[in-house]
Order: sequence, then C-alpha cells, then structure tokens
Amino acid sequence: METNLVVEGLKFMGLGMGAVFLFLIVLIFLMGMMSKIVHKFFPEVQPSAGSSSSSAQNNQKKVVAAITAAIKFHRES
Amino acid sequence: MKKNVIKIFTLFMFFSFSSLYASGPAADAFSHEASTKKVETYQTQSFSEMIDGFINSTGVKAFMSPNLDELSSHGEKMSDFHKSWGRIIMILIAFLLFYLAIAKGFEPLLLLPIGFGGLLANIPVAGIAGPDGFLGIMYEMGLANQFFPILIFMGVGAMTDFGPLLSNPKTALLGGAAQFGIFGTLVGAVALAQYTSIFDFTLQQASAISIIGGADGPTSIFIASKLAPELLGAIAVASYSYMAMVPIIQPPIMKALTTDAERRIKMSTLRHVSRLEKLVFPIMVLVLAILVLPDATPLIGAFMFGNFLKESGVVDRLSDTMQNALINIVTIFLGLAVGSKLAADQFLVADTLAILALGVVAFSAGTAAGVIMAKIMNLFPGNKINPLIGSAGVSAVPMAARVSNKVGMEYDRSNMLLMHAMGPNVAGVIGSAVAAGILISLFS
Repeated sequence: METNLVVEGLKFMGLGMGAVFLFLIVLIFLMGMMSKIVHKFFPEVQPSAGSSSSSAQNNQKKVVAAITAAIKFHRES
Repeated sequence: MKKNVIKIFTLFMFFSFSSLYASGPAADAFSHEASTKKVETYQTQSFSEMIDGFINSTGVKAFMSPNLDELSSHGEKMSDFHKSWGRIIMILIAFLLFYLAIAKGFEPLLLLPIGFGGLLANIPVAGIAGPDGFLGIMYEMGLANQFFPILIFMGVGAMTDFGPLLSNPKTALLGGAAQFGIFGTLVGAVALAQYTSIFDFTLQQASAISIIGGADGPTSIFIASKLAPELLGAIAVASYSYMAMVPIIQPPIMKALTTDAERRIKMSTLRHVSRLEKLVFPIMVLVLAILVLPDATPLIGAFMFGNFLKESGVVDRLSDTMQNALINIVTIFLGLAVGSKLAADQFLVADTLAILALGVVAFSAGTAAGVIMAKIMNLFPGNKINPLIGSAGVSAVPMAARVSNKVGMEYDRSNMLLMHAMGPNVAGVIGSAVAAGILISLFS
C-alpha cells in the first residue's frame, strides 16, 4: 500500500507542534520558578539607585537655595 | 603615445611567449611523473593552433556551444539549456540579488555574498563550485557538515537579550504558535507532492522547505543541508529574501486579524530582570533540551553558549568576538557556500518555484498563528496582550519585533511594543530550533 504523504505530514504536524508547545510551556514554568528562587535567595542589591536619588534631591535643594539667594540679592540691590 | 602602446604590447607579447616556452619543458616533466595512465606530452603548436585553442577556451564559446562532456559540480550530466542559457539566467538572477541588496536594502549582509557566490558558481569552464573550486571547498568545509550555521547561531546567541522574555514568560507561547508556519507548510508541501504530478517532494524535502516558516536563516540552512542538500540554494535564498520582506509581508496579515481596539491595547511595563536570572536562563534551556530533545542541542547548545558568555560578563572579549569578528567571517563563508548551490542545474528547476511559493505561505501562516494565539490568550484572565506582538513569534530577530512596534505606533503613537515583542521574538528562535530538532529526530 502506498503511504499517504498528507497523512504523514499531519502526523508530523501534531507531533511537532505538540513538542514545541510542551517545551515552551515547561520552559515558562521553569522561568517562573527560577525567578522566584532568585528573588527569594539572591535579591539584587541596588545601593546605587538609592544614593543617586538622594544626592539628586540634595542637588535640587542646593539649586533652589542658590536661586532664592540670587533673587533676594537682586531685589535688595 | 601610439609608440608607447606598441612598445608595451611587444614587451607583453615577449614576456608571455618566453614564459610559455620556459614553462613548457617543466610541465612536460611533471606530467610524466604525475600521471602514469595518460601520458600527455606538450607538443609544439603553430600560432594559429594556439589562437584556435584559446578561442575554444573562452567563456563566449562555452556559453554559445557548451562542451558536451562538461559535468555539473556533482559530476552529473547537465542539459544543454543548463549549460548555456541557464547560466546566463542565473547570472542575471545574481544581478537581481545585488540590486535587491544594495538598492532595496534586503538583508545585504547575506544576499550580497550569496548573489556573488551564485555569479561565480555559474562561470563555465572554471568549475569554481566544483569539488576543487574554492566555493566547492567552502561548501564541503562548513555547509555539507552544518558547521557554519552552528557558528552563526553562537554569534546570534551572544547578541540576544532574554530579558524581555524572562520578565513576561507567557509570551513564549506566541513564539511556539508561530512555528505552525513550519508544520502547516510541511502539510502543504506534501499535499502538493501527493496531488500534483509536477512536484515530487519527499517528506525530507518537504520538511526542509517548510522550515523556511521558522524565519530563521541559520536554522533553515542547517536543516536543508541535513535533509535535502539538493534544495539548499533555493531554500536559503527564499528564507533570506522573505526575512528581508517581513515588513512587507506581515502588516497586512496582522491588520486583517485584529480589531482596532485590540491594536490599541497597552501592555504593562516589563519588570526588571536580575543578572542572575539572565545567567541561569541559558543553562536552564539547555538542560531542558538535553532532557527532552537531544537532537536540538547542536543548535540550542551553540546558541546558549554564546548567550551564556555574554551574560557571564567576565569574558567580554570572547562575546565581542562572537558578536562581531566571528559572525562576520562565517557570514562571508556561509554566503559564498550557499551561493555555490545557485548553479543553474540545481536552481532552474520547477521545484524552486514551489519553494518560493511555499516560503511565502510558511511566513504568512506563522505570522497568522502568532496573532491568533495572542487573541486566544486574551480570552483567559490576566494581563492582556496586544495581538500585534504575536507576529513577532516568527524568529527573524529583531525585524519582526520592529514590525510589531511600527504597526502598533500607527494606531497609538504612545504605544511602544518593541520590548514586549522581543519576548516572543527570542522565544521564536528557541521554538524553531526545537522544531528543527524534532524534524531531525523524525528522520534519524
């Protein structure tokens, strides 16, 4: 009996799509688990972010102070 | 002026003759030693005989009245058409590839080497694509054994950032759905073979053609040279030209399958991904591939090797070499070696037309499947996905993601989809490598 190529092709499709999805679904679960574990046990320390924002605030305060001083000086003179 | 020209000409003649006479006896002695079967001695010829011989060895003569005994690079007989007009047509096709690459900007990095390789492969007499020609040597060196595509994969791995995928893992499903382009086209190709008498694809050939739908150049070349080397030229050219045409092929399909409201969906911003996650990810994928599908590990292994070196952050020199020097060198070799398969006797066949047609079908089916998958995912509760990023599930990194972004911006200027689309995009690369592994495992 001659093999029906189309039927073969459909079988390939079923197996192929099934395997691709299986692989990616398992991968999605693994990614979720992995990021949970990483965040729980190895949280990323970000000291630079905190210090930079506070220094930025300090800078702004200094700028405001300088401007007010300048305005005051301008008005007085 | 005239005198000078004559002087130079006579000088040139003198040198060429003297060198001819000088090399005569030496060549004579060599041929005596080398070939014991056929003793060919150099015989003095009259000048007119020499001119005759020269005319017989010109390209014009070879094109007009081809040598009956000339064999193709595979050592098979070629029809007269393939030796004369076929070659001229192929050279014109090479010019067309140059035009597309230079004037239209279609994947010039690959189409130029492929086109020039095709030009060289169709030169009569010289046999550049034959076993002793330099294109033939390049083909044997790295394409016949799938070495070059693997090296390219390493470089692509070193250029890939899995951050967007890690921060929104479920978009990986879009990259899986787009692989329907591969398997749907496989069915289409075997249906063509079954129900028409013109095309006669075997399952191997059909699989090699359908992998164009993965929209991943190195993967298509990898599979084609493994399953159907005789179709390699057409498959590679189709694959790279369609990848270049992604911005033309995809948008109409994306717009046809989505409503205006869906195209305006804004996705939540991506969370920050820590360095450790990015470092673990390549190893995780590779371990999964080892457990589930070892046949895919050559591709995935090389890909993840490149990515791992990049994310490790301690071998910037190596990762930099892979991203630039190595991938550039291999691209030259790969392009020329693929071009050697553009010889007239292999490219100018009816199958090529079917491959070009099936390639478009494969791309479109993959795009559509990705978009539809995104719509299906939106039926479930959770963060909504803009279906426009579904089309990026076909690999074609980063072109497909850029297309998603561009189409999204057409409807809402403030909707930046690029990073969201990179998730399915890189998942598509993994997906097509898995699909390739499955096809290999089915035939081994």
